[in-house]
Amino acid sequence: MDKRAQSTGIEFLNMRLARAYIPFQFYTDAFPLEEALQKGTLFPELYRPYVAGVCCG
Amino acid sequence: MWIYKKMLEYPADVERVDPLYASYLFAQFGGPDSELSAGLRYLSQAWTMPIPEGKATLISIGTEELAHWEIIGTLIYKLTKGVPATELAKLGAPGAHYVQHDRALYPHDASGVPWTAAYIQSIGDPVADLHEDMAAEEKARATYEHLIDMARDAKVIATLSFLREREIVHFQRFGETLDLLYEYIDKSAQKEPVEK
Amino acid sequence: MQNRVRMLRKIQMVQFAVIDLNLYLNTHPRDRRALDEHNRLVAELDKLEEEYVQKYGILTAFSSSPAPWQWIDDPWPWEINYSR
Repeated sequence: MDKRAQSTGIEFLNMRLARAYIPFQFYTDAFPLEEALQKGTLFPELYRPYVAGVCCG
Repeated sequence: MWIYKKMLEYPADVERVDPLYASYLFAQFGGPDSELSAGLRYLSQAWTMPIPEGKATLISIGTEELAHWEIIGTLIYKLTKGVPATELAKLGAPGAHYVQHDRALYPHDASGVPWTAAYIQSIGDPVADLHEDMAAEEKARATYEHLIDMARDAKVIATLSFLREREIVHFQRFGETLDLLYEYIDKSAQKEPVEK
Repeated sequence: MQNRVRMLRKIQMVQFAVIDLNLYLNTHPRDRRALDEHNRLVAELDKLEEEYVQKYGILTAFSSSPAPWQWIDDPWPWEINYSR
C-alpha cells in the first residue's frame, strides 16, 4: 500500500478528464502548538501566508 | 445537536475602536461569502452527502465556521464599543447601521444588505455541492485579503490572517473529500452501470 | 483575570490543534500517527479544562455547577481582553 492508502484506505486514484483533483496531504511534522494557533494551521505544508500585492492566494 | 462552549477559537482582540473598519468586517458577518453563509451552506449539505468522510467534513467545518462567525462578531463588537452616536454619524456606514441596529450585531454585508439564503446552494448532487464549497472557501479567502489590505490594526490583522489560513485548510479538506467521492462514485458505477 | 486569560489561551492553543487534527482525520481516518497525536492532545485538553472549570467556572451548560448557577457568569467570550 502507498502512503495515501495507509492513511485513507484507498488503493489508487483513477484520474479522469473533466474532474478536479486535489493532492492528498500526508501528516509529517506539526508546528509547535502556540505557533499553530498564531498561523492558523498545525500543518507546515498547508501554511500559505498572504503576501499583499502578489496575485493570487 | 450543538453545544455552546464559552470561549473563542482564537483570542480575537483589537488595538483600538474603529467603527468604519468594523463596517467592512460585516462582509464576513453577513455577506455572500461570510462565515455565516459558510456555516449554513456546509451544515445544510450534510444530510445528503453519501460518504462518511464527507458527512464528517461538512459537519466539522460547518461547525468551525460558526466559531469563526463568533470571532468576526467579536471584532465588530470590540471595534464599535463605546463610540458615541455623534461620531458614528460622521462615518457613513456605521451611522446607517446605528439608525437601525444601535451597536447590535445584525447579519448584513459591508453595504448593509441583509443576509439571505440565496447566497448559498445545496443542490443535492455531492460533486456539485463540494465544488460550491471549494469556491466558497476561495471567495472567503479573497475577501479576507481585501480586508487585510485595508487594515492598520495589528491585532485585527492577526485575527484575519488566522481566519484566512483556515479557508486554505478547509479548501484542502473539501478537495480530499471530492477525491474520496469520485472513488465512491467509480466503485458504485462498476457495480451497476446505468447510462443516461 | 490575568491568570484566567493565560489559562484560556492555553486551552485555545491545545484545542486548536485538536480541531485541525479532527479535520485531517475526517479524510485520513486510518492515519495512525495523526490519530495518536489527536488522542494525546484530547487528554491534555481535558486536563486543562478540568482545572479551568474548577478555578473559573463552567465552559458548557453540560457541567455541574456550584450554587448559584454559574453558566450566567460574566465574562462571555467577546467580553475578554486576551492580550492583557
